[in-house]
Amino acid sequence: MSQLPDPIREGLARGWKVLGGAHQPLPSMLHCDVAIVGTGAGAGITAELLTKAGFDVVRVEEGPLKSSTDFHQRESDAYPSLYQESAARKTEDKAINILQGRCVGGSTTVNWTSSFRTPSSTLKFWRERFGLVEFTDDGLAPWFAQAEERLNIAPWLTSPNENNDLLRRGAQKLGIPSASIKRNVKGCWNLGSCGMGCPTNAKQSMLVTTIPAALDKGARLLTQTRAQEFEHASGRITALVCVPVRQDGAPASTQTVRIQAKHYVVAGGAINSPALLKRSHLPDPHGLLGTRTFLHPVVISAATFEQMVEGWSGAPQTIYTDHFLETQAIDGPIGYKLEAPPLHPVIFASTLPGHGREQAEMLRQFPNTHTLLSLLRDGFHEQSRGGTVKLRSDGSPVLDYPLNDFVMDGARRSFLSMAEIQFAAGARSVIPVHEQAVPYTSWVQARSAIQALAMQPLLTRVVSAHVMGGCGMAGDERHGVVRADGTHWQMDNLSVHDGSLFPTSIGANPQLSIYGIVNKLATQLATRLNGRAVALA
Amino acid sequence: MQRRSFLNFGLAATAVIAVAGGGLALLHPGLEEGHMTASAKAVFKAVARGVLQGVLPAEHTAQEAALAAHLVRLDDTLAAFPCATQSELSQLIALIASAPGRSTIVGLHSDWDAASDADIQAAMQDMRHSSLAMRQQIFHALRDLTNAAYFADPQAWTSLGYPGPLAI
Repeated sequence: MSQLPDPIREGLARGWKVLGGAHQPLPSMLHCDVAIVGTGAGAGITAELLTKAGFDVVRVEEGPLKSSTDFHQRESDAYPSLYQESAARKTEDKAINILQGRCVGGSTTVNWTSSFRTPSSTLKFWRERFGLVEFTDDGLAPWFAQAEERLNIAPWLTSPNENNDLLRRGAQKLGIPSASIKRNVKGCWNLGSCGMGCPTNAKQSMLVTTIPAALDKGARLLTQTRAQEFEHASGRITALVCVPVRQDGAPASTQTVRIQAKHYVVAGGAINSPALLKRSHLPDPHGLLGTRTFLHPVVISAATFEQMVEGWSGAPQTIYTDHFLETQAIDGPIGYKLEAPPLHPVIFASTLPGHGREQAEMLRQFPNTHTLLSLLRDGFHEQSRGGTVKLRSDGSPVLDYPLNDFVMDGARRSFLSMAEIQFAAGARSVIPVHEQAVPYTSWVQARSAIQALAMQPLLTRVVSAHVMGGCGMAGDERHGVVRADGTHWQMDNLSVHDGSLFPTSIGANPQLSIYGIVNKLATQLATRLNGRAVALA
Repeated sequence: MQRRSFLNFGLAATAVIAVAGGGLALLHPGLEEGHMTASAKAVFKAVARGVLQGVLPAEHTAQEAALAAHLVRLDDTLAAFPCATQSELSQLIALIASAPGRSTIVGLHSDWDAASDADIQAAMQDMRHSSLAMRQQIFHALRDLTNAAYFADPQAWTSLGYPGPLAI
């Protein structure tokens, strides 16, 4: 167990107003100025700004409050307690596994710290296709700069680990530019355990930044409490009804908590945010709610090297290349970003193809395994419309995301690019993570084998850690669920402040896009609600 | 692109039982209150023998002990899943634990307990490359759950050459 100071335990001892779960009992009724659903990237930024502006804020989080004392760098602890559906959330046809946080701090508690501003080409597409005229590089720059300052987002000056350096070296051999990834850390120990909750509080997640700031100003936090549905009348939300839940998400009792607020902000993350609006039967005159949900579908290529790679050790995802995004039109064949993820036993063993002796042989190579992933930039083409959030009979959400030929063509090109880079870096063998593939020992062999793979879902391993869209913004109500300022087109006192706002995928790891864009929306919301000017930094 | 067919074990079960001429009473849930029933344990123990061949201890007593510990971890893993996932898995296990489901869907013609490691691997391999999405989904569910539970155990890390997290 970590012996380091734990700012959350210290705050609780100081008397923070934390209710639900093992904390103070939940009342049946609560009143506040602003109720915020969620505690992740968008919710955290919004809560800090609104409490600064003097509002009485209540936040509702379905996951538990865990902090550095609880973070043991073990997947078996982290997945059931910190992730949606025990890190086994899947699309409806089971073809895509989705990693998404479900704890106080949301995905920021478990993400891998990669920080990119929203790419210019993405913003241009939003202006041209969705009427988001204010979303320019210059217009957003100050909002990103504040978020970067608040969360210590800066270049990572430590040498990349071998897993990442192999991407740099392989790309360099092929004349493909790569660069380093900025990270939101302060005094990082370079452990590589970001995905299991930072045990040293170096990661500047919402858990250790905006959430403590808002709690210190008197905001209330309801943990293990699910926002079940909104009550509404005459174009306004009148209450938010919540239920206490156990760690596995099942109702903990028959109790309900009604929250009445002047304004409501939904920031439960994509998939969950549109699901809440759907459960509430909010108006959706253009049938847009839950549609255009994007994933950056990810495919993986594993390579073995003579030398030790130890992909579990050192900061994850510190090198990237956008070569395969920037060398083609954004609305042409799907482009992709390449990064090098962290490797740990459970995720490694449950992601590799095969079984039995074939798998045992690959597992033995674990210390010498280097892995690349390709994030496919979805949502910019007629044939890349993402998925649709549906509700199961128990009201829980499930994403239907068809992996069509357009997307799978990008997956094949990704396999080719990754294998070529890995061989250029000196790989002894490369296996694209696909059930028909075997380890290939040369680029020539890999190239012809990959060209022959049946690029179908369930044969091709596809995962995602970036869920976006479903409550998209647009400049007119025919194309978006919410306005450019984040308020719902049909509900005056409801805003959406999370990744579900995005009308396409980002084309980069989305956390800084959420921080920066929500910084703008929440700052402007504070001014609209009481005329007070506040700033994140 | 392959025609998409969604996982619907309720429907599949009805079809299998109808073909086999039995009644739905033949099916026993795989999970009860989130925990594995005896038939689920038999399925997952057999699956582990196939999937983890080359990783499990070869000696019989040591292998039995490793499998017993594995089933405890797997039970913990399943118990942490949300109700909707548990319900789906319970139906899946009920289906493949039944003799007609095991035979027609998994392609295994002896009891799970009695099947050899090679039989189980052949059945898994056949589902892995099946043209039916449902059989592929079953392959992934069985394989992924088995690997996730087995490699959560620090004792399994030695076979991966993983030293474990740095103490802080």
